[in-house]
Amino acid sequence: MSTVPSAGQAGALYWPVQARRNVGVRGLFAVVLAFLFAYGFLFPGLLTASGFAKFTQSWFPLALVAMAQAILMLTGGISLAIGAMVSLGAVIAATTMTGPLGVAGGAAAVALTGLGIGAATGFIVVRLRLPAIVVTLAGSFIIGGAALLILPRPGGAIPEWLSDLLAGNTPAAFVVLVLIVLLWKLYLATPLGLSLYAAGENPVGAYRSGVPVDGARIAAYAISGLLSTGAGLFVAAQTGSGDPVIGAAFTLNSIAAAVLGGIGFLGGQGTMRGALAGSLLLSLMISVMFFLGFTPVAQYVAQGLIIIGAVAIPQFRKVQQ
Amino acid sequence: MMKSSFFASASALCLGLLLAIGAGSQANAAAKCIKGDRKAPYTIGWANIYSVPTWMKQTQGTIEAEVETLKKQGLVDKLVVTDAQGDANVQIQQIQSMIDSDVDAIILIAGSSTAPARVLADACAKGIAIINFDSLVDTDDVTAKVNTDSAQWGDQAAKFLIDAIGGKGKILILNGPAGVSVSDDRRKGADAALKAHPDVTVLAETNTPYNVAPAQEAVTSLLFANPEIDGILSLGGALSAGAVLALDKQGREQVPITGENARQFLELWKEKGLKSWATMQPNWLGAFATYTAVQALEGKDVPAFVKIPLPVIDNSNMDQYLARAADFPADGYIYSPYDEDLFKKLLAGK
Repeated sequence: MSTVPSAGQAGALYWPVQARRNVGVRGLFAVVLAFLFAYGFLFPGLLTASGFAKFTQSWFPLALVAMAQAILMLTGGISLAIGAMVSLGAVIAATTMTGPLGVAGGAAAVALTGLGIGAATGFIVVRLRLPAIVVTLAGSFIIGGAALLILPRPGGAIPEWLSDLLAGNTPAAFVVLVLIVLLWKLYLATPLGLSLYAAGENPVGAYRSGVPVDGARIAAYAISGLLSTGAGLFVAAQTGSGDPVIGAAFTLNSIAAAVLGGIGFLGGQGTMRGALAGSLLLSLMISVMFFLGFTPVAQYVAQGLIIIGAVAIPQFRKVQQ
Repeated sequence: MMKSSFFASASALCLGLLLAIGAGSQANAAAKCIKGDRKAPYTIGWANIYSVPTWMKQTQGTIEAEVETLKKQGLVDKLVVTDAQGDANVQIQQIQSMIDSDVDAIILIAGSSTAPARVLADACAKGIAIINFDSLVDTDDVTAKVNTDSAQWGDQAAKFLIDAIGGKGKILILNGPAGVSVSDDRRKGADAALKAHPDVTVLAETNTPYNVAPAQEAVTSLLFANPEIDGILSLGGALSAGAVLALDKQGREQVPITGENARQFLELWKEKGLKSWATMQPNWLGAFATYTAVQALEGKDVPAFVKIPLPVIDNSNMDQYLARAADFPADGYIYSPYDEDLFKKLLAGK
């Protein structure tokens, strides 16, 4: 399941290996496809450029935080600070981009903050051997407090053109997401990326085989931080402003998306495509249930049933086999 | 023959032009976001940020009641409800879905004062009437905003309390959550009165959700640290109930306290014989927002901001409120009575 295709393998092996990695999430893929068709049927405007753009824009930040959480869970870690990181990224973007730093400077500040806080968290977790759940819980208070210090109440601004570019009527967000997924594929081909799964599944064995376990895990935290503050930047662009508590819900949603996507809590199990599909399902459900005319109470129940269904169906199959 | 038909068509053209100008000036008089191309019966979208708190359920109750009334008048045929479960991003997605399904009006309690700005601009451009109440957005791309004045709330509460403790003493201040506009605005409103009375010392401030249990917990720990407290400036009804319960559990004497129309607090007020003052965020803001949306769609001009005067409850009229307590949930809010005449007056008073 968690075999990573190494550079030495023959190309002919690549697709069968990838197909085998999909086994656990086939049910989820089917559910996501069904929801996509249902959405397109209920709201034909989805098939227009602007309809598709708006839909992918509501999915995009959740997709990023799902990736941010998945990369940590693959190494056996977890982060409860993802929501706070999104908020921090949003307020940094909203307070710098219209100032002297400009868009490029603001984006760099957001990226450096994400990488820096992520790497620091990773260092504390990995080198000081403290539980990730405790470190990131404490971190979420510090980071959330920092966001409130930078912008005590909603405000700030994002240049209009950037908002229109990222969250206007063109599917730019989707293009960015495709690029990020390609970068992820590239990363998996680097030594650090290759170490990721090994470090998560069997850290001791990997270490004895000369895999840079600590490095891979700290790098995962840094990348996770970057993805989280990046999601914050996008949320700021999408909303045209900053809000110091906008990210709060992303922590739980990122974990939900990753788990729904078949990522195991113990590390080394699951695929990024699963996490992405999980986040897509969470986002699709909101719109589809609206168009089906569900009342909010019915939505609570339906959401739970769909999530259980998507996770349980493949398990039933396994038991039967 | 030719000439007369020419004359006829020319006069028809003139008439048409006149009508167009007339229609144009009428469109100018219409409220913001309204284009006049939407016809009754209307579909109303109610974009709630969080449906679980009792205040929200009661508010939704007034919206549903108003929709029933408007249905009977043939003005509304459907109410669509969404619940963002506290997530401002989800609320944006749900407002987008409302635009996609072409509702005629959106009434909205915003989960963030800034985040929905762009999606609301889209809705406004499509001629959807947007009435925003309670938690307001900063953008002006809405038909109307409806609210009480949070700063005035804080100011009146502070003045009452300072007066009640004789202009000097040690007080606690209980706030709602940090970073939330309503809570910030109420607190800011209290500042001027507090500054004008240097003999009033603020011992400590709390930030908790607008719920009894967390407020009770926060006040309990402050009571241990502060043996002497002369008054409590509470800027939310559930917070006041929590504070009164905390004092009671510790066996401390009740002190003057401000509050809100929470039934639990009003009952404690009566039971403990408190000296108190309360105001409210009337739940019928929801019904009023619905009414206003339909008025705007019907081509009536509505003010861009409707300020709802704060109803005041004090020792003189609290019995009238408690007399109606049975009609409200035990953990709910006893709001002041409302009817269509009140709504008409509020809309006219611009």
